[in-house]
Amino acid sequence: MPEIRVEGLVKEFGDQRALDDVSFSVEDGELFTLLGPSGCGKSTTLMSIAGFQTPEQGRIAVGEETFFDAARRLAVPAEQRNLGIVFQSYAVWPHMTVFDNLAFPLRVRKLKRDAIRTRVREVLELVEMAQYERRYPHQLSGGQQQRVALARALVYSPAVLLLDEPFSNLDAKLRERARAWVKELQHRLGLTTIFVTHDQDEALSMSDRVAVMSAGEVQQIGAPEDVYRRPANRFVAEFVGRVNLIEGVAAADGGVVVVDVTGSQHRLTVRGADGASGNVTVAVRPEAVTVLPAEDASANGTNTWEADVGTVAFLGDHYEYEVTIGSLALTVQSSRRVEGERVRVHIPPDACTVVG
Amino acid sequence: MSAATYERTFPRPRRSLVPAWALQWWTWLLVVALIVGPYIPLVYASLRDRPLYEAGGVFTLDPYRQLFGDSVFWHAWLNTLGFAALSTVLAVAGGAVVAILCSRADLAGRKLFSRLILLPILLPSLGMVLGWIVVWGPGGYLTSMFSDRLHAPTLAIDTIPGMALVEASRLLPIAFLTCQAALTRADSSLEDAARSAGARPLRVLGSVTIPMLRPAILNAATLIFTLSIAALGIPLLLGTSNNIVFVSSYLYNTWTSASAPDPGSVSAGAVMMLAAATALLLLRNRLLGAEARFVSVGGKSGRQALLRLRGWRWPLAAVLALYLVFTTLVPILGLALMSFVVVLTPLVAPWELLTSAHWNVLLDDPTFRSSIENSAVIAVVGAVATTAFVALATLVAHRSRFPLRKTLPFVMLYPRATPGIIIGIGFFWAYLLTGALGDFLRDSIWGIMVAFCVRNLPLAYIVMYPTLARIGEELDRAGRAAGAGWWRTCRTIVLPLLKPAIFASFILLFVEIINDYDPAVFLVRPGTEVMGATMLSQFIQGMVGPVSALAMVQVAITVVVLAIGAKVFRIGATGGEHGA
Ligand SMILES: Nc1ncnc2c1ncn2[C@@H]1O[C@H](COP(=O)(O)OP(=O)(O)OP(=O)(O)O)[C@@H](O)[C@H]1O
Ligand SMILES: [Mg+2]
Repeated sequence: MPEIRVEGLVKEFGDQRALDDVSFSVEDGELFTLLGPSGCGKSTTLMSIAGFQTPEQGRIAVGEETFFDAARRLAVPAEQRNLGIVFQSYAVWPHMTVFDNLAFPLRVRKLKRDAIRTRVREVLELVEMAQYERRYPHQLSGGQQQRVALARALVYSPAVLLLDEPFSNLDAKLRERARAWVKELQHRLGLTTIFVTHDQDEALSMSDRVAVMSAGEVQQIGAPEDVYRRPANRFVAEFVGRVNLIEGVAAADGGVVVVDVTGSQHRLTVRGADGASGNVTVAVRPEAVTVLPAEDASANGTNTWEADVGTVAFLGDHYEYEVTIGSLALTVQSSRRVEGERVRVHIPPDACTVVG
Repeated sequence: MSAATYERTFPRPRRSLVPAWALQWWTWLLVVALIVGPYIPLVYASLRDRPLYEAGGVFTLDPYRQLFGDSVFWHAWLNTLGFAALSTVLAVAGGAVVAILCSRADLAGRKLFSRLILLPILLPSLGMVLGWIVVWGPGGYLTSMFSDRLHAPTLAIDTIPGMALVEASRLLPIAFLTCQAALTRADSSLEDAARSAGARPLRVLGSVTIPMLRPAILNAATLIFTLSIAALGIPLLLGTSNNIVFVSSYLYNTWTSASAPDPGSVSAGAVMMLAAATALLLLRNRLLGAEARFVSVGGKSGRQALLRLRGWRWPLAAVLALYLVFTTLVPILGLALMSFVVVLTPLVAPWELLTSAHWNVLLDDPTFRSSIENSAVIAVVGAVATTAFVALATLVAHRSRFPLRKTLPFVMLYPRATPGIIIGIGFFWAYLLTGALGDFLRDSIWGIMVAFCVRNLPLAYIVMYPTLARIGEELDRAGRAAGAGWWRTCRTIVLPLLKPAIFASFILLFVEIINDYDPAVFLVRPGTEVMGATMLSQFIQGMVGPVSALAMVQVAITVVVLAIGAKVFRIGATGGEHGA
């Protein structure tokens, strides 16, 4: 199965730039996610790959085949691209039965009746919908419609699967199951997949790699762990998961960087940020911070400070503390309940990332 | 299933034989040729010193000079504008009041009224004018009865205000629909908020509801004004006795005048009317956002009425019922009666004058008979062809990437603004200039059919577009992604989903085409008569009885077809689309 290469896409709607030099490539068999807030251009990117949008600049190729090249004025029509797509609304044709929905792409490919029948059955079994083949879409639940949409996208064995927010219409429980199920299927069939979502949990849990987008630009591409632990900039840090942002002035100090936190006496030690200096913002994930009882004498040393506890919220699997260290406010997540109005907090130097 | 069984190579979908762009270009060209085409020879004819059928004409501005020099023509404009303004005021005021009563007050029978009030726009317009004349005209049945027997004052419908009343009663449904749609769409929480703030219902009506309606009122007023300017039957049939000439009847008379027909200045006059109508259309497009033009009727029902009429619930309903009786039911009954009696007079009881002679004329007289047959054929074929063609053009306009697609909605709505006789004159010249094809069309009923279809084609678009807009674009994208080309996707996915609108469009077009007349008045010739044109010419010649019978045929066909449409396809407010 082929890799997907997207180079320098630019797309404008009127005077608004929906895509600004978007480039990435997707490896064979990889599940690649476009993650970003609403309106950042994820669907526009996906629809450009599918052939429903024509960017002003850029190139799109899948495997050997160039689908789009603005410079050469080349654009393969959508129906010739042979891609599988699942739309946000599922777009299961309401006037056709499940069987006919799946048979349609095969009829277009002029398969024999028997061959169509066998293949549709096969794929319906794959998505565990075999017993519904005579139903109409309105007789199916949202989750079942979504399976039909996926089956229809897979029935002609396309080279590449494109998924535009396929789970956004499902309720929370179902969504979690569907994620696991799609991921398993994608992995088993080895499908090269581009997945669009604005849900960071979804992106982190399913993807092999993630591209975070904002305002038509790709902000960072990397494995979920990288994007989460080492956000490239402030936008990524804030968009992917929750984060504490600490402003200060950085200076090199031996093998580490030390940040004079703005508006307080504290000096934050940061590891792995070589070369950072001047005004910086440091990102720290709430769960990376440790909370200890104030009287815990063992807690002493780098980045360990006394803090006032504002509120403590119990959220089932963890507690969430709002604490202040002088004028510095932090959100901290911990599975430990630490009593008292004063606590000690420790920020591991490894958990700090300079984001700008 | 494993990766191995999943991964199978299927043949790539083949490209279709006719590429989508070719189909789209042909559709576009045909739309433009049919709609814009007829105006080119019209303008050309207005700039020649002799009719196009005579050889050797040269460029001249004389037709315009001649028109501008004719005081009758200027007078005709004054009459037309006065008539149109008055019709507009009456229709809009009436329509807005009824809309408020039906959708914001607890009027008794409001559901039924909001259906019945639509009837006048759906019934044959010429037939209704004839009905008015038979009943309310000078010497009409009720006029004589009221003035001679009871010495009560009656309407003088052969004056400009009277004619405006007749026209307003026909066009009131347009104002009603536009206002009702605006009220349904409007966020009623604005009104609720005003009420919670302590405003009394009437106050809310005055300071929230009616201002909310202002865009709808402006929109309806522009449309009604445009349509009134084009009225032909009213000035021809009601204006003649008092010598009140409108632009349309001026052009008609100049064209048909046996002594001095003057096609050049008729074309010049038509060009002026066309310019006025176009200006009004552009104005209307500016008033409306492009999208707001399309309204969907229906929506929140069962909401508590804003205005409690209390003791007025029934009296107001009675007033509305009386209005419908006098403006719609009575003219139709008058026509029905007229078609069965020798003369219609209050002096002798009708049953003493019964005759079937008028109906026999329909069967025996070749003109009447062929009118009915021709109209039936034209309406069936025309409605089918127009619906199919407009469906295709609407798909090109909204579901393709055809480069000129954005021009289509405007072009397709254009004939709505054009007076029927101008379309008729345009096609007359167009057929004259297009050789063998033109000759064929001119000599057969198909020429008239094309003119009728073009005239009524906007309605098909107005019916189909809102439904198409509700069919998610992802549905056809899914078809394309599955490997189907543009046309196959349209055929197998979009068109089946558009079916209800396609049926509604067919019904509406059938009714409109079978009742249409003004584009035909310059196109009919012996053997190609259609009902409306025959009614007009025969009524002018005094054949009141047979014409009434013919009008009853139109009314009956209209009512039956609409009833079938409403039943089978549940086209609740078929006429709803007139509001757009
Ligand atoms: N057809 C269009 N015409 C004009 N602007 C458009 C069009 N389609 C998209 N846009 C604009 O382009 C930008 C990107 O849109 P896009 O649909 O790609 O966003 P998205 O990331 O998919 O958002 P969402 O998560 O809400 O689906 C948006 O600002 C949108 O307003
Ligand atoms: Mg999107």
